[in-house]
Amino acid sequence: MGIGEGMSKDADLVRRVLAGDAAAYGGLVAHYRDRLARYAVRMLGDRGDAEEAVQDAFVRAYRSLPRCDDPQRFGPWLFGILVNRCRTSYARRARRERVVLHDEPASLVAAVASTAERLEWEAEIVWALERLDPLYREAFLLRHVEDLSYDEMATLTGAGVSALKMRVLRACERLRVLLKETDRV
Amino acid sequence: MTALRTAALAAGLAGLLAARVAGQDPRLERLDPDTRIAVAVLVDSARASGLPAEALIDRALEGVAKQAPAPRIIAAVTTLFANLRDARAALGASATAPELEAGASAIHLGVSPAALTRLRVLRARQPLTIALSVMADLTARGVPADSAAAAVLALAGSLRDDQFLAFRRSVERDIELGTPAAAAASSSVRLGAGALTTDASTPGSPRPPRRP
Amino acid sequence: MFERDDDTLTDVTARVAASLKKAVRLDPALDARVMAHVTALPVHRPVGSLGRVWSWLRRPRTLAVSPLAGLAAAAGIAAIVFVAARFGRTAVTPPAGDRTPVEFLLVAPRAASVMLVGDFNDWTASATPLHTAAAGGLWAVTVPLAPGRYRYAFVVDGKRWQPDPSAPPAPDDEFGSPSSVVTVGGTL
Repeated sequence: MGIGEGMSKDADLVRRVLAGDAAAYGGLVAHYRDRLARYAVRMLGDRGDAEEAVQDAFVRAYRSLPRCDDPQRFGPWLFGILVNRCRTSYARRARRERVVLHDEPASLVAAVASTAERLEWEAEIVWALERLDPLYREAFLLRHVEDLSYDEMATLTGAGVSALKMRVLRACERLRVLLKETDRV
Repeated sequence: MTALRTAALAAGLAGLLAARVAGQDPRLERLDPDTRIAVAVLVDSARASGLPAEALIDRALEGVAKQAPAPRIIAAVTTLFANLRDARAALGASATAPELEAGASAIHLGVSPAALTRLRVLRARQPLTIALSVMADLTARGVPADSAAAAVLALAGSLRDDQFLAFRRSVERDIELGTPAAAAASSSVRLGAGALTTDASTPGSPRPPRRP
Repeated sequence: MFERDDDTLTDVTARVAASLKKAVRLDPALDARVMAHVTALPVHRPVGSLGRVWSWLRRPRTLAVSPLAGLAAAAGIAAIVFVAARFGRTAVTPPAGDRTPVEFLLVAPRAASVMLVGDFNDWTASATPLHTAAAGGLWAVTVPLAPGRYRYAFVVDGKRWQPDPSAPPAPDDEFGSPSSVVTVGGTL
């Protein structure tokens, strides 16, 4: 199921919001909240960061709603805002965590040791996802979890279709290698 | 004099200088002694030459708040001093402190001093703080410095301050929604001989998907 | 190693994708927080004729008109830029000599405290706390500022420096944590 199903209903709600009915935005939030949540949690690996990113994306979309050129395409447009928010959030967290790891090498060793104890498959997926380059992770999630076409992905991310295909390929290769290391394949 | 007495004299002078300047502004007490001396010298020079000393003090205090190492604080204040001096050379002796601070930001980000001078000419009787800030803000957002300067200069003769801020906001929204920064800023109006070209780039809506 | 079509998922990657497609539920109060924030913003106004012209102007095109009409169009464009500002938070250009109240907002649903630190309070970490409304997650404070340009940032929970996502970045990241800039117009 691609994002943006129920496009005419979205368009009605968008028009109502633009006409001054702010409460109508609640319908759009309810419709897209879970889809955005799924992508944000998978991309950021942290529920708190994901909640902030989703909340921020909805608020930015509301503020910028007059600039949504096609109300029927509200879904993909909103998703593009979320992808950008996640990139910002990830960059900020990566900067923070680099500082922490630099100062506390002991905690890094402890984290590595504890992953060897994980047994749950889903926990291993999270572990492997975290070790993907963020651009590869983003491409994999957009293509194989959110089921976007490469054209839609190109519009959201600003990257070319061939570059995106390469990223998805690399993501799959890396996941195969990482998950093989945990002897689950 | 012996080396020891020279060193003692130098230390004593430095201490006196630091005490004098520190005595003038108690906020500098938040700096460690070595940093305080270096910053105090710059603050003193700025006051003597009519540059906004407050901006230098603020930058030092920011470094202290963020627990930056002393060399970084000193380097930041030194760089700011140089940028303020260049901004004053470009904008003229009558430039106000906010104009100099905004101009220094723009210069630091790569806007040429000549663009600042041109802006002064185009908006001779108006404060330049907002226009300079918009130049700096757009550049900080990723618009190439030349493009940001050109866009502001193109609009300098016709926009009020509140309209400049609206222009900046619209460019920022385009960038936020995915338009490359340079394209977002090229909503500039070029008045050429007999032609009006509007070159407004927008993110547009996503293209309808082609199923693979 | 052998080549694969990037759209073909193997056993492992297919299982990964299937697992990741499962629904994720966030805090149920998220909807309410979004709507609390949204209803605090200016209501959208119906797009009038000027707004439609603004949308038309934003599309790429080339026109050739007489110089006189060009000047008139430039004046019209300047007016439209000003009108467009009303869709968002208004710009801060106060009357001469006054301090302008400037509102600083941050969305931080998990924070226990948020402080505003910047040029206007000598970068004193404890001077300007933000307050959170009943709905939670949205922190705010209003500060009267004289005309000028101010660098600032938020400090979350006493230790995490965060720039303002809705403000232009400050030119330098020289101290290891980015700051933001607010410009207040008007004459001194």
